[in-house]
Amino acid sequence: MVKLRARCILVGDAAVGKSALSQMFRSDGAHFQKNYSMTAGVELLVKPVNIPETSDSVELYIYDSAGRETFAEACEKMWGQPSVVCVVFDISSLASFNSCSRWLQRVRAHCNGLQVPGVLVGNKSDLSSRREVEETTAQDWAQSQGLQYHETSAKEMENCDAPFLSLAQAFYTLYQERRQMIQTLG
Amino acid sequence: MINTALSSFGAQVVLATSSDENHPPENILDGKTETFWLSTGMFPQEFIIRFPDNMKVSLISVHSFNVKHLRIEKNTLEEADKFQVMAEKEFEQTENSLQTNDISVDGSHATHLRFLIISGYDHFVSVHKVSVEA
Repeated sequence: MVKLRARCILVGDAAVGKSALSQMFRSDGAHFQKNYSMTAGVELLVKPVNIPETSDSVELYIYDSAGRETFAEACEKMWGQPSVVCVVFDISSLASFNSCSRWLQRVRAHCNGLQVPGVLVGNKSDLSSRREVEETTAQDWAQSQGLQYHETSAKEMENCDAPFLSLAQAFYTLYQERRQMIQTLG
Repeated sequence: MINTALSSFGAQVVLATSSDENHPPENILDGKTETFWLSTGMFPQEFIIRFPDNMKVSLISVHSFNVKHLRIEKNTLEEADKFQVMAEKEFEQTENSLQTNDISVDGSHATHLRFLIISGYDHFVSVHKVSVEA
């Protein structure tokens, strides 16, 4: 049995639904905050994720970080060294999608050159009638950045676990690779 | 030149912050570099070695992989508590071999040594062997 720990940095523009998404995931869908309240700092959520077909797990320490620029710089100081990254945008806001590259760079600047698994999340998939970002566009960009793409709706409890499960799985895979590599050294 | 950190001399690891049951912290003290303790994510990481007696410590050797910044602390109590900094070192990165570092200390006595891995060159770091010379 292995219990890994991963520091997951959650970023993206303000009001794309980062807190809603992470709280839905943490509470297994029990908690959707209807009224918007802006995150001003960093909120830490911890949740263990089981890796399918093993007795192993990854404990995710999710750093839900303010998207508003005024607070962003102060938040960065709390990130430490990221293990995985989750970049979120709102599918009904092209501007929020265009910011993703900047958010990703910002997190990568803290990674000391390490390979950091990541996901791109298009949230608010319930607003498809107002969609400004096509799924294929997001998918292509995600792929070019080595990220996995997921669409979610925190409001409709749609697919909210998927991005976090895939991050946990990717971190677990990285661990197994390193373990095997180190085994050849001794 | 007695290797007092070997488990055969009664030394034991009394705390380690992470553990994969296939790579337990006991592997640090079994005298082999083939077996290792592997950290399981995030920093800092630490482990504490307890000696059967109050030992004089003048040289500490560490075989590891991807450890960057290490701090070693000691105490002379029966409990693993109230540590004082003994040494601090930044290890160089290695590619296809283990890091081997000898750390000279002042030859004072200790009942516990605490190894605090503050940062690493990767998400996961391994410690294969720690030995101590009196």
